[in-house]
Amino acid sequence: MFRVKNPQDLGASIAFMLIGLAGLYFGKELTFGSASRMGPGFFPTWLNVLILAIGVAIGLKALAIEGPGVEPFQVRPILFIVAAILIFGYLINVIGLALSAMLMTVFSACARRGVKMTETALLGAGLALFSVIVFVYVLGQAVPAWWGR
Amino acid sequence: MDLNFFQNLATGFGAAASLKNISFGLIGCLVGTLIGVLPGIGPIATIAMLLPITFGLDPLASLIMLAGIYYGAQYGGSTTSILVSMPGEASSIVTCIDGHQMARQGRAGAALAVAALGSFFAGCVSTVFVAAFGPPLAAVAQQFNSPDYFSLMVLGLVTAVVLAHGSVIKAVGMVLVGLLFGLVGTDVNSGVTRYTFGISELWDGIDFLPLVIGTFGIVEIINNLEQGALPHPAAATRFRELWPSREDFRQSWRAVLRGTGLGSILGILPGGGAVLASFASYTVEKKVAKDPSRFGKGAIEGVAGPESANNAAAQTSFIPLLTLGLPSNAVMALMMGAMIIQGIQPGAAVMTKRPDLFWGLVASMWIGNAMLLVINLPLIGLWVRLLATPYRFLYPAILLFCVIGVYATNPSIAQLVLTAFFAVFGYILTRFGCEPAPMVLGFILGPLMEENLRRALVISRGDPMVFIERPISAALLAITAIIVALTVLPQIQKTREKAFQE
Repeated sequence: MFRVKNPQDLGASIAFMLIGLAGLYFGKELTFGSASRMGPGFFPTWLNVLILAIGVAIGLKALAIEGPGVEPFQVRPILFIVAAILIFGYLINVIGLALSAMLMTVFSACARRGVKMTETALLGAGLALFSVIVFVYVLGQAVPAWWGR
Repeated sequence: MDLNFFQNLATGFGAAASLKNISFGLIGCLVGTLIGVLPGIGPIATIAMLLPITFGLDPLASLIMLAGIYYGAQYGGSTTSILVSMPGEASSIVTCIDGHQMARQGRAGAALAVAALGSFFAGCVSTVFVAAFGPPLAAVAQQFNSPDYFSLMVLGLVTAVVLAHGSVIKAVGMVLVGLLFGLVGTDVNSGVTRYTFGISELWDGIDFLPLVIGTFGIVEIINNLEQGALPHPAAATRFRELWPSREDFRQSWRAVLRGTGLGSILGILPGGGAVLASFASYTVEKKVAKDPSRFGKGAIEGVAGPESANNAAAQTSFIPLLTLGLPSNAVMALMMGAMIIQGIQPGAAVMTKRPDLFWGLVASMWIGNAMLLVINLPLIGLWVRLLATPYRFLYPAILLFCVIGVYATNPSIAQLVLTAFFAVFGYILTRFGCEPAPMVLGFILGPLMEENLRRALVISRGDPMVFIERPISAALLAITAIIVALTVLPQIQKTREKAFQE
């Protein structure tokens, strides 16, 4: 059997192959056209084929040459940071910048272990005030400040 | 150098030196340094985060502010390298080596001052360089036709990939993925939507900000969080005096000169820029030194040379962007993105149609450098104190400002979903050893490349030989082929690896 000598490359290979295949699959409706009359699918198809080819090449390299392993994915930071971004996005028009900034601070603070809640709440309040003053009053951004519109 | 040169510079200073523009430049420098000094945040992430605040300004003011942010961020990066040995990005890695040793010996002030003075000198020289070489290059660029542009972009992307650190093949893959992301949205030629998955927010294409803030800003936060405790400067740094001694000056002025020359030239190369320049300068300084063993133990030339070189290169790398419309590295891709948002298509036309803009930007480079010197030397103490702020307070703030920036520019939840998507996407790919910088280059160039390919092939009726038959295009492709051949050769590959390890 083949032995994976470079897990990092294997990961990259799989990622590129998936992107190339997804690109081809979702672009299959696009007209390819011909070189003199390029359709909307011409350039993307070539790109996807090349991405796929690179994925295969990196995959072969991963089997042939030793290399570093993949460091374990840490779920906690990603999960909380992504959650913080999405919560902010969904709530800003409902509860306004100040409250969603506070909520976001709490969520993003949870991306670390050992969160101190009082400290975080104070930080959140400070950031909320600061961002309302700077973004709404000074820079005049069209964002609801204290409550939704 | 003719009279025009001075007239042009006068136009530039006339346009840039209004009180409004200078104050935006000043704010840019300050805020850029402020963010750039935070450990683990490099110029790319800094510019990406601060882009939104420049959107409300008129084009010249916003470019001046952006340039200020860029220089500030770079200087901030050097400060962190010297004080805590945490380079924000590749171009300050070499500054860490001797700069941090100097800081440990209590000579942090001298290192910072030499970095600032060297950068200022390099900035002055390279501004003249841009002013002198911009117009002739733009004249050449006007001879360019679609096939030539396409080949030029191929050359630019290939050299960018070769000169970047890390795996070449992965970088090529990332460029292609970036090109693909650049195509999302409505195809201008056929009106067909591509890769929009029925989401109407994607019809105009993926916005620049969610992509760069996701892949740079937020990925950096996640990576820093994983590393756990970040180093504190208080433990390692003591200030004896700020001003370098006479001996320091004597040792460093030649290094500054060499670094400036090297940086100015390397910055123009497509794919060159600050990183390559600082590495090259460090290597040169080590080679010419009478006693190379001092390097790595706090040799001031090891700070003066690379710092001058990276600043010179940072400026001359504007040349390909402003004359050919080709960003040579990720920072320039950000600048190009900002210009496009302002309604300016970078290229030779800017110089003829909007001379105030081109020369104003050139003048603002010098103004920006002068400001860095004026504000940063006195403020070093403040930056040091800022560095001591625990990361657990910093990152929620950074994240919040990133998100507000994205949302305020285009108030739609789709923007934030995209930001989160690119954060996860960028995180996964960095884990597999794929750098996101080439992807941004590809993303910016995607639509341009397709359009020029299409036009070239329409002109030639589908014959790909057009790329070889036109002399300019053929020459560019030949250079590309030589560069590719050189990297594949094992001997060169070894030296390249060695160069990046040092």
